[in-house]
Amino acid sequence: MATDIEGIKSVTLETIYDTPEGKLIQSCIQCGTCAGACPHGEYMDYPPRRIIKMLQHGLIEKVFETDSMLKCVNCYACMVKCPREIHLTEVILQLVKEQTIIRLPAVPPELQKALENNYRYGNPMGESGRKRANWVTTSSVPVRILSQNPEPVDVLWFVESYPSYHPRGQDTCRALAKILNALEIDFAILGNEEKSAGECGMLSYESGLAEALVDYNMSVFAKYKFNKMITTDPHALDAFNYRYKLYDFGYEAQHAILFIMQYHDRLKPLLKKTLGYSVTYHDSCCLGRHNKFYDEPRQLLQLIPGIKLVEMVHNRLNSICCGGGGGGMWLDTYFKSQNMERLSDIRVKEAIETGADILAVACPYEIPRFEDALKVAGYDKKIAVKDIVELVSESMED
Amino acid sequence: MSKTTGNTRTGFYICHCGTNIAGTVDVEKVVDYVSKLPNVVVAKHYKYMCSDPGQEMIQKDIRDQNLNRLVVAACSPFLHERTFRNVASQAGLNQFFFQMVNTREQNAWVHLDALASTEKAIDLARSAIFRVAFHKPLEQKKVPIHPGVLVVGGGIAGIHASLTLANAGKKVFLVEREPTIGGHMAMFDKTFPTLDCAACILTPKMSSVKNHPNITMWTYSEIESVDGYVGNFKVNVKKKPRYIIEDLCVGCLDCIDACVYKEPRFFDEFNQGLSKRKPVYIPFPQATPQLVVIDPETCIDFKSNKCKKTCVDVCERKAIDLNQQPEHKEIEVGTIIVATGFKPFDASGVPYYGYGVYPNVYTALEVERLINASGPTSGEVVMRDGSRPEKIAIIHCVGSRDKNTNLWCSRVCCLYSLKLAHLLKEHTHADIYNFYIDIRTPGKMMEEFYYRMAEEGTKFIRGRVADIYPDLTDEVHRRLIVKAEDTLISEIIKVPVDMVVLSTGLEPRADANDVRRMFNITCSTEGFFIERHPKLAPVNTFTDGIFLAGCCQGPKDIPDTVAQAGAAAAEALALIDSGFIELEPNTAFVVEVDCSGCKSCVPLCPYSAISYQEDKKKAYINEALCKGCGTCVASCPSGSIKQNLFEDEEIYSEIDGILNYTNIYEVSECC
Amino acid sequence: MLLDENKSQSGSQGWQPKIIAFFCNWCTYTAADLAGVSRIKHAPNARVIRVMCSGRVDPQFILDSFAKGADGVLVGGCHPGDCHYQEGNYKCLRRFQLFKRVVESFGINKDRLRLEWISASEGDKVRLVINDMVAKVKALGPLSLPKKFSEWDKEMNIIEEKIAGKEEAVHA
Repeated sequence: MATDIEGIKSVTLETIYDTPEGKLIQSCIQCGTCAGACPHGEYMDYPPRRIIKMLQHGLIEKVFETDSMLKCVNCYACMVKCPREIHLTEVILQLVKEQTIIRLPAVPPELQKALENNYRYGNPMGESGRKRANWVTTSSVPVRILSQNPEPVDVLWFVESYPSYHPRGQDTCRALAKILNALEIDFAILGNEEKSAGECGMLSYESGLAEALVDYNMSVFAKYKFNKMITTDPHALDAFNYRYKLYDFGYEAQHAILFIMQYHDRLKPLLKKTLGYSVTYHDSCCLGRHNKFYDEPRQLLQLIPGIKLVEMVHNRLNSICCGGGGGGMWLDTYFKSQNMERLSDIRVKEAIETGADILAVACPYEIPRFEDALKVAGYDKKIAVKDIVELVSESMED
Repeated sequence: MSKTTGNTRTGFYICHCGTNIAGTVDVEKVVDYVSKLPNVVVAKHYKYMCSDPGQEMIQKDIRDQNLNRLVVAACSPFLHERTFRNVASQAGLNQFFFQMVNTREQNAWVHLDALASTEKAIDLARSAIFRVAFHKPLEQKKVPIHPGVLVVGGGIAGIHASLTLANAGKKVFLVEREPTIGGHMAMFDKTFPTLDCAACILTPKMSSVKNHPNITMWTYSEIESVDGYVGNFKVNVKKKPRYIIEDLCVGCLDCIDACVYKEPRFFDEFNQGLSKRKPVYIPFPQATPQLVVIDPETCIDFKSNKCKKTCVDVCERKAIDLNQQPEHKEIEVGTIIVATGFKPFDASGVPYYGYGVYPNVYTALEVERLINASGPTSGEVVMRDGSRPEKIAIIHCVGSRDKNTNLWCSRVCCLYSLKLAHLLKEHTHADIYNFYIDIRTPGKMMEEFYYRMAEEGTKFIRGRVADIYPDLTDEVHRRLIVKAEDTLISEIIKVPVDMVVLSTGLEPRADANDVRRMFNITCSTEGFFIERHPKLAPVNTFTDGIFLAGCCQGPKDIPDTVAQAGAAAAEALALIDSGFIELEPNTAFVVEVDCSGCKSCVPLCPYSAISYQEDKKKAYINEALCKGCGTCVASCPSGSIKQNLFEDEEIYSEIDGILNYTNIYEVSECC
Repeated sequence: MLLDENKSQSGSQGWQPKIIAFFCNWCTYTAADLAGVSRIKHAPNARVIRVMCSGRVDPQFILDSFAKGADGVLVGGCHPGDCHYQEGNYKCLRRFQLFKRVVESFGINKDRLRLEWISASEGDKVRLVINDMVAKVKALGPLSLPKKFSEWDKEMNIIEEKIAGKEEAVHA
C-alpha cells in the first residue's frame, strides 16, 4: 500500500482538470452557496468555495495542507445547491480530503482505529467477524445464511456492520427479517462471510482499504446466485451503485425501504396495528440528497395506520446531516476538540421542536447518533428514535 | 442530366472577413484552386467583400469581364445574401444568378484545423460554382401588405408598439389575455433608476390605447389561430365572456358592492393573493378598460345556478349578461407584433428559501404590491401577521444563474432589488441586507443608482444564500435566519431578519411553445422567442412580417422593452409603407407535359396550393398559395414538379461539386 | 453482394470521410449558423446543402450522394410539430423510414444515413450529431462507390470481351 500512496500523492491540477467533473470547477462563480450550505462550513478555514478558488489559482499544495476537509461529512448539501452543479461531494472534496489525510501528521486516533478495524475485522467496531451473523439466532423468523445453504436466492440482503453488531441495529435487522418473511420474499444474507461494504473507507480516505473490501466482497458475491441486492444502509447502497459498478458489480442495489414499497399492496393489509404516533422523518444524506428518494420513506410511513407525519424545519433536500458520514462517525472526539457543535445535537433539537413522538430514520448510523444526542441533551424521555422498518414491523403485530 | 446552356462566365469571390475567415481558411489557396475550374473567369479574395470597395469590385468585374454568374464565399446567406443579390442586379445581372457559400458561420468559426477548413471551403466553392451554372433568371413576386397590424399582448411593450403604429395612422388590433391591459408594469410601484411611479407613467398610455381611434383593443381575449403569410395574415381571436356587455357598462362598480358575497374572499391575482376579491371584480382601480369581469370559477350562479343575482338587479344599465358566450372574430392584418411578456420564476422552485412555508418570505412582486399605495395594505409595509419588519433580507438571483433552475441572468433583479431596498427603507426604516452574487448594473444611470442606494446605508453581503430557517431559540420573534457565506471576508454569517424578499428572475411564459407554434416562430430550449439575428435583426423573427417586443424575447427592463417595441413598430411600418413585399421566388410549378395526373402531390400540400385539373388531367399549383417547401417536388414520381431556386439539377450539381464528381459531364449527355 | 465491405480500407492513412448534409433552412441550417456564432467547434467533414424544408429531400438526392462518393448522408429538419411548413418534416420522416430500409438492403450500413431533428436553438446538437456521425462513419471506413462501380464496370467489360472472344472463336 505504500507505493499506492505515492501514486495517489501525485494528484495534480492536471489530473483534476482531466475529468469532466474536475473541469466543472472552472465554471465556479464563487457564490459561496457551498460554504453556507455546509453544516460545518463555519468551522473550516478553507470552506469549499475557497478551496475551489485556490485550485483555480493553482495553489493545490496549500489546499492539501489545510485540515478543513477533514470536517466534511459527505452530506451532499453543497452539491445539491451548487448553482453550477459542480460535483463537490462526489469528486472534488473527496479528492482534497484524501490528499489532506495523507499529508496529516497524525490521523485522529478514533478514525485511525475504525479504519484499522475495518481492515482487520471487516467492520469498524473491531468486533469478531465470526459474530457477524449472531443476531440471526434472536430473529423471530428464519434467516437463511448462504454459506450454510448456498442455493440460489432471489434477494441478497447485505446487512452491513452497524446493523449486524450494534444492539439497536440488530433491532432493525429483526424487523426487516420479519417484514421480508411476511411478504414471502425469498431472501438470504451472507452471514459471517460479509465484510463492510467499504464506502466510508473510500470516503474518509484510504482508497486502498476500500479497494481491498470491494475485492473481497465481490469475490463472495461471485460464489452465489442471486437476482437483486437490498440493504438498510444508504452508505452501502451508494458503495454498490457508484463504486462497485466500476468493478463490474452487475446488480442494482436497492434500499430496503424502496424494496418494501414495491410490495405496498401486499404490505398494507399486514399493517393491522394502529400506531398513534406523531412521527418526524430525518432524510438520510445518501438516500435523500444523493439519490433523491425523499417521498418513498414518507409514503411507507404513511402506510402505517395512525401515523401522523410532521416535518422538521430542515427537511428533504435541505435536511441536516446527522454528522456520521464521511468518517464523521469516528471523528466526534476530534470535532469536539475543535469546539464544533455536534450535528446530531442540532438535528435532535429540531426533531424535539416538532413535538413528534418518534424520530424516524432510514440509516443505521442515525439511531446510535441521535439516541446519544438525546441522552446528552437530556431529552431521552420525550422522543424515541426508530428505523422506519421497526415501525412497519411494530404495526404488523397483532 | 442536362448540361448548362450557353456560355457560362462565373466570377468567384471569397471574403477574408478581417481574420474571421482568412484566419482559418487559406483564401489564396481557394482562389488558386477555383480559378482553374471550368467556367470560372474571375476568382478573387478581398478583405471585406460586403464593404463598398468589395461590392464595387464585383460590379466592375461583372461589367468588364461580362460575367453572367456570381458566387461569393463569405458569411451566412442569412446575413448578406440580399447584399450580394443587389450587387448582381445593380450590375445588370439577374439577382438569382448568384450563389452564396457559407464560409464563416459553418466553416471558419467552427473548425480549428486550417487544412480541413480550407478543403471544406474548396469543396463548397466548387459546389456553388457547379450549381450556379444551372441558375435561371427569376423574378420576385410582389405581394401587397395589408396595412393592419396585430399586437399580441397588452403589457408596456404591446402598448408602446400599438401607440406608435396608431399614431402613424395604422389600424392596430391589440389583443390581451387578461381583463385589463398594463401587464406586469401596472403591478410595480416605482421604476428604477428614476424612481418615478409606474402607474403615473403607464396609465396615461393605457387610456391613450383605449381612446385611440386607430386601435381596436380586445382584452380578455386570446388568439386562436394564425393563417397566411407576411402581408396577409388571417387571425382568429376568441373573446372570452366577461359576462358584461361592454358597451353598456360604465364602470360604476355598483355590481361589486351588490354581490351576494359581502366580503371579498377569493385570490386576488393582481395583488398576488395578498388581498381578496369578489367573483365580480375589477383588477385594479385604473384597469383599462374600466369594465368589471365575472369569474365563473367563483361566482355562485355558475356553480349552483341558485344565486339571487343581486349584481344583475343593481345594474341600472342592464349590462350584466350571465349567459354571455365566447365571441369569435376574424381579422386580416399584414404584420404581427408578438409581445407576450414573461412569467416570474416560481419561488418555491428553490425549496430551501422557504417560500410558501414561512409566511414572512415574500417574492419581489408581492412586495411591489405591499409598497404600492393602491395595493392590499394601501402602501403600508406590514407582514401577513400584521407586524412591521425591522430587519429585511433581499435575496438576489432567485431562480436565476442556477443550473438547477434557470441558467440565465434575469437582468433586472439587481436593479429592482436595489429599488426595493430603497423603498422598503423609506417605508419601514428597517435594516436592509442585500445578499448578492454579483451586482450587475449596466445601462444609463444604473451604476449611479447603485451608488445612491449604497450611500443610503443598505448593507451588501456578497454571498448566495444557502439556507433560510426560523430561529428556534428565539421564542418571541421566531425571526428567520438567513445563512450565507460572506465571501469577501470568508465567514459564514447568519442574519436574523423579520422579512425575506426573494428577487425572482424572469422566465418564458408556460405556454410559450404553443404561442411559438401558432405564429410559426422559433424559441430557444428555455422558451424565449428567437430573433432573426441577435445584433442585426433583433426584433425580426424567421417568419417575415412577425416581430418581437419585450420580455417574450428575453429578460429586459422597461427602457429596453419600450425601445424594442418602438423598433418592432418601425419594422412593421417599414413593411406597410413600402406597400408590398418581395417574396423569394422559391415556389413550385408543374411541368404539365410530364405530369401523369397521379394526384399523389395533392394531399401533401399543407396549404392546399395543389389542385387537380379534371379537364387536363394534370396537377396545378397555385403560386399565390405555395410557400415553397418543396415537399411535393420530392415526392412527384414523374419528376414533373420543379421548385424555383431548388431545382433538381441545382441540387445534383451541388452534390457533384462537393464530391468533385465531374465525369458526369463528360459521360452522360442526357438522362 | 454488399456495397459496404471495406474492412481492408478502413485503416486508410489520412482518410477523412465526406458527409453530405441536407439541412432545412429554418431549423437545422439556422442551428448550424448558431453553432458558428457560438464558436462551437466540430468535425469539418460535413458539407451542408441548404434546402427550404427537410420535406424537399428527395431519396434520389441521397442515393446520388452515395453513388458519387459520399461516405455518409445526414438529413436535418425541425422537430416534430415545429416545421416551418407545418408538416414537411413528417413527410420527410415517413419517406426516410422506408428509404432507410432500401439503403440497408443495398448493403449500405445504417450508420451512414441519419435523420436528426435539430431546432434553431440547438447549436450544440449540431456538434454532437456531426461529431458522432463522423466517428461512426470513420469506424466504417470509406464507402467509395464510384471506385467500386468502375471496378465492376471493368470486370463486366472483361467478361463481355471474353464472351465476345469466345463468340469470335466459335465463328472462326
